[in-house]
Amino acid sequence: MKTILQAKNVQKVFGTKGNLYKALEDIDLEIKEGEFIGIMGPSGAGKSTLLNILSTIDTPSSGEIMITNQNIVRMNEEQLSDFRRNKLGFIFQDYNLLDTLTVKENILLPLALSKVPANEIEKRVNEIADTFGIREILDKYPYHISGGQKQRTAASRAIVGNPSLILADEPTGALDSKSATSLLESLNALNEQNQSTIMMVTHDAYAASFCKRVFFIKDGRTYTEIHKNHQSRQDFFQKILDVLASLGGGY
Amino acid sequence: MTLFSIARKNIRQNFTNYFLYFASMIFSIVIYFTFVSLKYDETLQATSDASPKISSAFSGAAVVLMVFVAIFIWYSNSFFTRKRKKEVGLYSLLGVRKKQIGRMLFYENFIMGILAQIIGILLGSVLSKFFVSILMGVMGFEAIGDFTISLAAIVNTIIVFSLITIITSFQGYRLIYRFKLIELFQADKEGEQEPKSSFIMALLSVILVGIGYWLALQNLMESNAWKAMGFMVTPLVILATVILGTYFLFSTLTVYLLKMSRKNKRSYWKGINLIGTSQLLYRIKGNARTLTIIAVLSATTLTAVGTAYSLYYNNRSNVGLANPNSMMFIDQDKNVTNQVRDIISNNKNHDVIYHESIPTLQINADVTTLKNNLFSNEMMYTVISDSDFNKLAKVQKRTDKLSLKGNEAAALDAGYYEGMSPNYIGSTISLKVNDRVENITFKSLKKYNALNYYTASTTVVVSEQLFTQLGKETNSVKMEVYEITNEDEAKQLTKDIQLILPVEARFSSFYADYSAGMESSGLMIFMGGFLGLVFLAATGSIIYFKQLTEANSDKGRYEILHKIGVNKKEVKRSIAKQVLFVFALPLIAGIAHCFVALTALSRLMQTSLVIPVVICMGVYTCIYIVYYFLTVNAYYKIVTKSK
Repeated sequence: MKTILQAKNVQKVFGTKGNLYKALEDIDLEIKEGEFIGIMGPSGAGKSTLLNILSTIDTPSSGEIMITNQNIVRMNEEQLSDFRRNKLGFIFQDYNLLDTLTVKENILLPLALSKVPANEIEKRVNEIADTFGIREILDKYPYHISGGQKQRTAASRAIVGNPSLILADEPTGALDSKSATSLLESLNALNEQNQSTIMMVTHDAYAASFCKRVFFIKDGRTYTEIHKNHQSRQDFFQKILDVLASLGGGY
Repeated sequence: MTLFSIARKNIRQNFTNYFLYFASMIFSIVIYFTFVSLKYDETLQATSDASPKISSAFSGAAVVLMVFVAIFIWYSNSFFTRKRKKEVGLYSLLGVRKKQIGRMLFYENFIMGILAQIIGILLGSVLSKFFVSILMGVMGFEAIGDFTISLAAIVNTIIVFSLITIITSFQGYRLIYRFKLIELFQADKEGEQEPKSSFIMALLSVILVGIGYWLALQNLMESNAWKAMGFMVTPLVILATVILGTYFLFSTLTVYLLKMSRKNKRSYWKGINLIGTSQLLYRIKGNARTLTIIAVLSATTLTAVGTAYSLYYNNRSNVGLANPNSMMFIDQDKNVTNQVRDIISNNKNHDVIYHESIPTLQINADVTTLKNNLFSNEMMYTVISDSDFNKLAKVQKRTDKLSLKGNEAAALDAGYYEGMSPNYIGSTISLKVNDRVENITFKSLKKYNALNYYTASTTVVVSEQLFTQLGKETNSVKMEVYEITNEDEAKQLTKDIQLILPVEARFSSFYADYSAGMESSGLMIFMGGFLGLVFLAATGSIIYFKQLTEANSDKGRYEILHKIGVNKKEVKRSIAKQVLFVFALPLIAGIAHCFVALTALSRLMQTSLVIPVVICMGVYTCIYIVYYFLTVNAYYKIVTKSK
């Protein structure tokens, strides 16, 4: 199986001389194509820092990161923008939809930016809207729809450009349990059926139990990782809770 | 810690936030103070002996300026307080009493007001010296004495701005009472919805502007619409339709067009167009009022400055039209006439280009047949023969020649205006000679004078034969005409001649009219230019403020775009396009309005305004473009600045 992401010795240091704070220390991570990986850890463990670095919004202090065989650490601002547009898809906790655009326009934005022809855009958007069940709200504006619908719109936008890697940052953080389950099931289906590679940062053990592998970090270091393999989701959920208990604190 | 010291600390520490407001206050004070000190300036008053006009013109303009400056300060004040709602809310949340917060805001504003006054007056003192020399220059005065700062100007400025400061400070005091706590925190949260558009309203806007334009471009004398509504009402109708039309244009037509453009998916779904168009659509309705005000202000400024500049620019040709000869007077006394001839020929600064003595007849004529209600039934004409006309035409370097027979005649009317002036050609008038009446028929019309208008009024040319015949029955009057070099500098010469000629000689000179024209039109252009610059700076700043407010609330959107992978170049292009739209709309509307107004005006004034007006528009547009780039850069900096 192809390797999508490979991070080696990633370090991130904040602050100036005499007052240094290591947010990440020697993180190694490899993600293969078609994986659904969860990143967990207590508050302040460095989850968000890691996600920001992997999503090229932030840069590491040292270390190498290869995504689809491209070294993102060595790219300039311009190349990074193009890289994000073409290779990555984002789902954020607070949706990050543009309120000046309709749901449909929000979804097609990445395609428009890549200058895909209009009729192909139309086709792709309709396909994805069906996958996430948001066909009826395509012409509405974000402030007219519910949180769950917003997050499904955001997810649609994330995958519309067929990215190599989908990055999700606490996607269920602001959703009620029903919407959260429905979103997670959609992501799961996306992973199983389309072989999409997904990396999800979460606080929530229930959300993490949908992943195939969960990677734990604590105080900026790798703590452990567990695989779902052939267990049921309930068993995997229990296992995650066990690890969290051993991690201690922060919840 | 007293409230006063908190207020002082606030100002010191958030100076960048306060800077815009502070700067616009100083700007207003500098402008006003400069203007008022010009008004009270003694050298200026002393030099312009001729015109009580100056002080009254300055007073009028000062009032306009005062109103404008007050509005401008009020606007920047409300922009400023809006930015601070959250801070005020926080104080309230921390348990500071409303009364205390109110007092604190009052002090803050008051301190800034006083500081701005001190700085403004200091800067203004320097600037007014500079402006006085400009004013003297454009009015054609050379002498500039010592410019002193007048106490009256300082007192005037302090009174006006203290009043404004107190009002705005009170406004600040009231801020905490006007809003609920929750509203203060949600200050910048928007609930703006996509504007609705209707084809009918869009059409209406075009029709309204069209009606206004059509009315303005009618020939005043012949139009039925003007007749029906009257001369007082029609201009008001024009103003109302154009302003209202402009407003609808911005609030509905642009929305309509943007929505139409959204239908074209091939271009709309292409790169940043999606972002730019939707962003504009979202904002345009809220901006319509500001854009209208700016368009109308721009049009007014351009028209006023354009007109003033045209007067100044065309002064020479207008004066030349009324005074085809450098000097002219009626020969009443041989001695005096010879004396004048000697004065002119002995003058070293001016050479005589030509000197003629033209025999003329002063004859009353019955002009009822000309059917012009602006004239009385009887008019005095200066009659000359065609051979004398040809002689004058030749020395005045015109290629025209007249050869008239029998009772044919030609009229010379430099002020001819189609529809307003009589229809000369073909008409017959009766010259009254003693008890007899001689009918003459106009065969041609020349739209210039051969004799200076002040001395000769309207001139009629008749055939040599008729002239001799009439000359036998009425007294001939000799008119002396001179053309000299450097006629626009003949100040001393004109004065010398004026001293020896009696009033009845009706002495006219190019120089006297020219310098009077320079004086009044120079004053107008100075005031027009001054007020124009102020308006320009103010409109530019209003757009600038408004765009930066929007930039602040758009920040989040651009962060999202950055995360999705829109690069900085694209962001900049999108911003440049959006801001261009906001800047270009009122400018184009303003120029169009001004163009129509000036077309109408140039017909009325019978001069071509094209060159001066194009120069004005060019300068205006250039300054506007500078504002545009400043705004784009500031906007870009705000939205790309990472947290």
